[in-house]
Amino acid sequence: MEKGGLGLEITELRLGLPGTEKMMKKRGFTEMIMTSSGSNSDQCESGVVSSGGDVEKVNESPVAKSQVVGWPPVCSYRRKNSCKEVSTTKVGLGYVKVSMDGVPYLRKMDLGSSQGYDDLAFALDKLFGFHGIGVALKDGDNCEYVTIYEDKDGDWMLAGDVPWGMFIESCKRLRIMKRSDATGFGLQPRGVDE
Amino acid sequence: MDRAIKLQLSTSEMNYFPDEVIEHIFDFIPSHRDRNSISLVSKSWHKIERYSRHQVFIGNCYAISPERLIRRFPCLRSLTLKGKPHFADFNLVPHEWGGFLHPWIDALSKARVGLEELRLKRMVVSDESLELLSRSFVGFKSLVLVSCDGFTTDGLASIAANCRNLRELDLQENEIDDHRGQWLNCFPDSSTTLVSLNFACLKGETNLSALERLVARSPNLKSLKVNRAVPLDALTRLMSCAPQLVDLGVGCYENEAEPESFEKLMAAIKKCTLLRSLSGFSEVAPVCLTAFYPICENLTSLNLSYAAEIQGNHLIEFVQFCKRLQLLWILDSIGDKGLEIVASSCKELQELRVFPSDPHDEEDNNTAVTEVGLVAISAGCPKLHSILYFCKQMTNAALITVAKNCPNFIRFRLCILEPNKPDHITSQSLDEGFGAIVQACKGLRRLSVSGLLTDKVFLYIGMYAAQLEMLSIAFAGDTDKGMLYVLNGCKKLRKLEIRDSPFGNAALLADVGKYETMRSLWMSSCEVTLGGCKRLARNAPWLNVEIINENENGRMERNEEDEREKVDRLYLYRTVVGTRKDAPPCVTIL
Repeated sequence: MEKGGLGLEITELRLGLPGTEKMMKKRGFTEMIMTSSGSNSDQCESGVVSSGGDVEKVNESPVAKSQVVGWPPVCSYRRKNSCKEVSTTKVGLGYVKVSMDGVPYLRKMDLGSSQGYDDLAFALDKLFGFHGIGVALKDGDNCEYVTIYEDKDGDWMLAGDVPWGMFIESCKRLRIMKRSDATGFGLQPRGVDE
Repeated sequence: MDRAIKLQLSTSEMNYFPDEVIEHIFDFIPSHRDRNSISLVSKSWHKIERYSRHQVFIGNCYAISPERLIRRFPCLRSLTLKGKPHFADFNLVPHEWGGFLHPWIDALSKARVGLEELRLKRMVVSDESLELLSRSFVGFKSLVLVSCDGFTTDGLASIAANCRNLRELDLQENEIDDHRGQWLNCFPDSSTTLVSLNFACLKGETNLSALERLVARSPNLKSLKVNRAVPLDALTRLMSCAPQLVDLGVGCYENEAEPESFEKLMAAIKKCTLLRSLSGFSEVAPVCLTAFYPICENLTSLNLSYAAEIQGNHLIEFVQFCKRLQLLWILDSIGDKGLEIVASSCKELQELRVFPSDPHDEEDNNTAVTEVGLVAISAGCPKLHSILYFCKQMTNAALITVAKNCPNFIRFRLCILEPNKPDHITSQSLDEGFGAIVQACKGLRRLSVSGLLTDKVFLYIGMYAAQLEMLSIAFAGDTDKGMLYVLNGCKKLRKLEIRDSPFGNAALLADVGKYETMRSLWMSSCEVTLGGCKRLARNAPWLNVEIINENENGRMERNEEDEREKVDRLYLYRTVVGTRKDAPPCVTIL
């Protein structure tokens, strides 16, 4: 308890550092608590989500820290190659972790069992018992949630842009995030040359 | 010159000797800095030095052009080039920023320079360049690529096929597109000169039989570092035909090694009595580390920092027998207890790096290291001079103790995982702790600071860190004064890199001449504005002042009108060749 409280206070102070407004978006207290861990680019995956029963025992590393680019200063080669999950997350094996903002647990789903984006949207719906997701995949701008995925290179991309075959080959992880949080997240834009 | 030969003769007396004699004397002075000094003594010394210089180090590939390099040092044999700034390692520099090798190879090739060695760091290397390299320099012996990208195994195939005298191919932490071709097969059967082969960073499959044949016909092979695709039984065969190995990097093992294959491996390892350095071990079952017990007492260098699958207790069990270790790179899963054991066992330790196994503390990791481990190491290892330490927390008291225990630090890099974290016992800033470090360690050349820090720490750094050459700052300081203390105080400063700190135009512009004495300055997410940078560029034509601005669409948005606009990323460096022509659209050179 004390840990959670102290951590957040310190973070609140930090957010005011000049020159850092860009990367530290102020989020409401509740939002911070409810953010599931393990769903940002450039970091090790964690099999364990820290909430479980005690929602108030917040990870001391809330949104602010996990959204800071290039921190901690571990070089990108090392990040990609020494995370525990690297060895077990085999691309193309089919099963990927799916996280959804606001939901404190991760789900796993088999991409191979879907035939296309529509199918995937339907499957995600079922997984989380939420109707908005299906719409999010197909219909870019109208809904509350967007579906993004982390590809082989560790970049976060908007789901639905590339052909389905290419997508399942390179998708390592899925995340369903609120549209409002997606801007400024650092998604790779369309049409960028690889 | 602090070499053994100190000449009492004056220059004019020395000039009675023929040039060859003077050149011979210069041969005893390999240090770049000393040779730079020699060349300034007189015109004749400059000339002799020029023609006898075989090794050149270029810390920033944009500081000079290949043509000018070749003009000055036509007898060049060994070239070291560095490209992207350090913070490119942390994704702070756009991929297409620059640092291209090709113009260098092109120029060297056209001038028929007798290049034998090329060492590159953070450069963009293409298959074309590698092909040109392989065909242009008959005596080419050694290629070392560190943190480079842009090439594939096809480029490696050209090197293998065409460099008849290749002794060293060392690929460290590069992003290489693995076409799973047969590059290892491209070494001709007549190729027997290999001394060092490192392809640990290749992600694809390896032609095992080609590798085994290559190793078998390379009697001089001392260093072999294989990638993940080399399983246990293949490793056993490799070691059996190369018992002379000094340096070994191990690939991936199956999780369940059969007792028989395991025994065969152990037998092969026992024969490698010259083995001193061990690395790799990604995706390796802990039991496989135990195969190396027979030779662990001989090890002087151990890099287990990629061994994410090996738990702390296994690491400790192994390391405690490595009594001759001088270099240890390890993950923080070893814990404070593990570091205490290292401190009591590894009395020869000179360099320690402790990396985070869980950078974002996702698992609420209780085995990460703290100040306790650092203090233990400093107390137990009297020869320690270089440290890189990622930890959860730190205290001033601990740093003060460390400073007292180890006044010989040359490199001290401390990274507290959470930005701005204060002394976890007193809740104060860590100014005093770092102050103690710089005051005690009079030979300190490289420093990285972290945790909660005010301007005061920079006052200390400016006052005491007289030998400091490289300083890395993140989330620290209060006002421009902080940066000014450093710029004014650290006379030997060469590289300064700052991120997310409140330093602005006043600090940037106070002493423009200072930057001519430095290699480079990096500032990102600070308070400097476009106007300030423009003023700097106007007053310092010998600098390239680069602004890297990237809006969300990845396209540069030039707000030339608004000089009060804060600059995302500023990178400036001295150069004798003016503005570079190969900058991408997202980089503006003022």
